Amino acid sequence: MENMPLIMQSFILVLLLYGLPVTVGGSLSSMAREHGNGGRYSLPFLWISGQMILWAVFQLVCVPFVLLEKEFQQVVTVFAGVSAFLMVVGIVMFWRDRKSGFGVVTPGAVQVNCQWIVFGVLFVFQLVQAVRLAYGDGDDAYYVAVSTITEDAETMYRKLPYTGGSAEVDIRHGLAPFPIWIAFLARISGMKAVSVAHVAMPLMLIPMTYGIFYLLGKKLFIKRKKLLAPFMIMTEILVLFGDYSMYTMEHFMLARSRQGKAALGSIVLPMLLFMMLMLLDRLQEKKKLSVAYWGLLCSVMLTGCLCSTMGAFLLCLMVAITGLCAALTYRNWKVLIPMALCCIPCVCYMLLYVVS
Amino acid sequence: MSHAIELFREYMGTGLVVIWFLLSLVYLFLKEESKQIRILFVYVPVILLLLFFNPLFAGFLAEYMGDEIYYRILWLLPVTVVIAYTCVVIGNRLAGKKRILWAVGSVILAVVSGAYIYSNVYFARAENQYHVPDSVVGICDAIALPGREVTAVFPLEMIQYVRQYSPVVCMPYGREILVEGWNEWATQNELCEAMEAEVVDAALLGKLAKDYGCIYIVLESNREIKGNLTETGYEWFCEVNGYNVYRNAELITF
Repeated sequence: MENMPLIMQSFILVLLLYGLPVTVGGSLSSMAREHGNGGRYSLPFLWISGQMILWAVFQLVCVPFVLLEKEFQQVVTVFAGVSAFLMVVGIVMFWRDRKSGFGVVTPGAVQVNCQWIVFGVLFVFQLVQAVRLAYGDGDDAYYVAVSTITEDAETMYRKLPYTGGSAEVDIRHGLAPFPIWIAFLARISGMKAVSVAHVAMPLMLIPMTYGIFYLLGKKLFIKRKKLLAPFMIMTEILVLFGDYSMYTMEHFMLARSRQGKAALGSIVLPMLLFMMLMLLDRLQEKKKLSVAYWGLLCSVMLTGCLCSTMGAFLLCLMVAITGLCAALTYRNWKVLIPMALCCIPCVCYMLLYVVS
Repeated sequence: MSHAIELFREYMGTGLVVIWFLLSLVYLFLKEESKQIRILFVYVPVILLLLFFNPLFAGFLAEYMGDEIYYRILWLLPVTVVIAYTCVVIGNRLAGKKRILWAVGSVILAVVSGAYIYSNVYFARAENQYHVPDSVVGICDAIALPGREVTAVFPLEMIQYVRQYSPVVCMPYGREILVEGWNEWATQNELCEAMEAEVVDAALLGKLAKDYGCIYIVLESNREIKGNLTETGYEWFCEVNGYNVYRNAELITF
């Protein structure tokens, strides 16, 4: 695989990072139709929700293997198998549900199109910068090295990333194995883990963040669609000028995209915000939430655990506060039960973290 | 409480963006009609801020998670989304020239209040597809031995990149040496001191590198060296991108 031409390696990565999640997202096609234009499927929703499912499954598969000190190849084999199965399920469910084509772009007046062009230019600029510029961050010496070591040495969190040499399994970091997922991409594509981390990751995670902002914007401006483009442009400007301190989510998003905590701040937390908005909308309309919704919320929670051990706590906190506010506002205490159930996986990982 | 305030101050930077966020909260509290948006964009952030500054909550979290990552609670505040939403909603209530002025003003305000991310000093033009310096790539490739790991000592500016690129190059000290307070032993590492001395003492460096099992020593080509590394068993091996690599062949054992 390593000897494959770069173009072939890149093609495999595109399939893994874009094609696979879209097909897996097909299992939520009924939800994807709700977020598309005029009943059409929303491609961003299919892609993002599919990736959330894949990340959640990776977390469930990988952590036991890390704790049991198994070989990395076993994770690769099992996760590849499960991904293939989820892809088939997604395609079948999408085929059954199929009503019309994908709906991505909002048709509108000339002014709206001009605004989308501005958005597109700024968007492409960020992607070009992600490839053209390197950000020297000390934490990469840990996270990227873990991916590189895992891909090479077959061990997971059992080598000292800074210096080399064997060590006891690092359980605390092993509970959030985002770097192992990068190693998985490197193993399947044949590209070096360091390139996957520094180049491929931003090219996936930056579009995904804007994809979530797009979904959020569509819900926020459901009756004022012409405001969606200005909203997207404004978010881009705030992100581009969001380096007012080294702690901001925007800084992590554009400078340190390959780190799990960046994915937590710029993808998982905005996605949770979107999920909470969906929940509140349903409560407002006094409609029931589907099993698919709770499944996706569970996936988002597990993805938070994959990204960072702190993620489990942050997501539970957000769900708890929003749940209590919703229950009080809508006098609907029953909603707290499935919300609490969705937090259980996070609580389990938190307990493991505390006792480790 | 004081730690939370300190963290919040550091998180805010100049503070202007956070001020716009707080003003947005006030505006939405007064004007927003949608219950859902009020909950998510006003009530939840306010509760989060109250929790963040609560000393009991901060103490509890610091005990289990460590206080250096406490600031991440602030990531739950949807700063970007709330400001963007408020700007767009206010703009929509205006008409004609006022709307255009508002749009231009909002963009200028965001630009002036924040900091352009690509002007951050840690961004530099990528030298290759790995986003690590060419010198690191060249040296790691040059010193690699088939089927085994090698130990090499590098100058401090290179150590954070070495093992990102090559998992088979080990080092006597790594990035932890750069972070004050992480590893007291490492910050006092004698080999590191010998490597980073203004004038390198060849005899001392050669002896210490050998003691640490380093097959290779990497030094900037223009470093002033007192004595000769050859006398300690290290011979000049190659020069890569302005760095001299010395090798002790006696340490290569299979």
